[in-house]
Amino acid sequence: MNRKRPYRSKMRILVDMMRAIQGEGEEGAGPTKVLYAANLSHDRLTQYLEELVEKELVIEKDQGGEARIYSLTEKGRDFLVEFVRIERFSEAFGIEI
Amino acid sequence: MQTEIMLIRIDLILETIGAIIAFAISHYANTAYKLTREKRLSDLSTGFLVLSVSMFGRVIGTIYFFVLADASGSGEALSLRNIVIIAYEALRIMAYALFALSTRRGVREYENNAPLMLLALPGLIDPNLEMIAIIVLLVVVLQALINYASNRSRFALYVVIGFLFLLLSHIFLIFSFNEYRGYILSQLSQFLGLIALLVMLIKAGR
Repeated sequence: MNRKRPYRSKMRILVDMMRAIQGEGEEGAGPTKVLYAANLSHDRLTQYLEELVEKELVIEKDQGGEARIYSLTEKGRDFLVEFVRIERFSEAFGIEI
Repeated sequence: MQTEIMLIRIDLILETIGAIIAFAISHYANTAYKLTREKRLSDLSTGFLVLSVSMFGRVIGTIYFFVLADASGSGEALSLRNIVIIAYEALRIMAYALFALSTRRGVREYENNAPLMLLALPGLIDPNLEMIAIIVLLVVVLQALINYASNRSRFALYVVIGFLFLLLSHIFLIFSFNEYRGYILSQLSQFLGLIALLVMLIKAGR
């Protein structure tokens, strides 16, 4: 029997991606790691990674050749801390974000 | 007379502190809305802002009423007092309606929104605005309880306690006609409710 996946807002998806990147520490995470950890399709992954880089929440490091690694910026780390607070506040009132 | 003046002073102090707390919650909800673009956070922010404005308005109106009553006699002061009371009650009902709207569960998760349907009960036309406030706030408390029952978070518990005390404050107010104790209980209850919401705000922010 198929279990219906709960709907994720775009904000939630971006946060899941950032948490996946943060989980890899200073070394950063490659796109495949983010893809599986955040449970995304490839098209969405590319689109959202570009958005995160554009918003300066994530930085892309070129490892030579085709390899790309993504790490959180200081702004990205601060954003995640603030998001946790907002998440707690919103869920206290029954508002899902 | 001395007791009345002392009560009014305490009442105004508690109301002012409560208004500041409501404003702080509104500000944080607005910050959360700007970050997440979740509309219900904007509704919540507006609700607490309206509550804060109503409380500040009552403080200013009450002070002005007593100054005016001193200076010019009873007629003008009485009509201002009535305006302040009606405006205060109407704004509070608006604030509670916004809380009910913003804290309702999503359609996907909770199709049978029974608490909100209470608002559609016919025949609830009552000249006493307090009754309307109680009914709307009852919906808010029920929604908060349902939220707490589903996620069991301590932050949700603080919200339940906060709104419950606000509801109690209105219930006590009904029994306060010609009875100071009811009025004191009402104001204390309102203050405690806002303190509970402030505690939630501080703990969630850590």
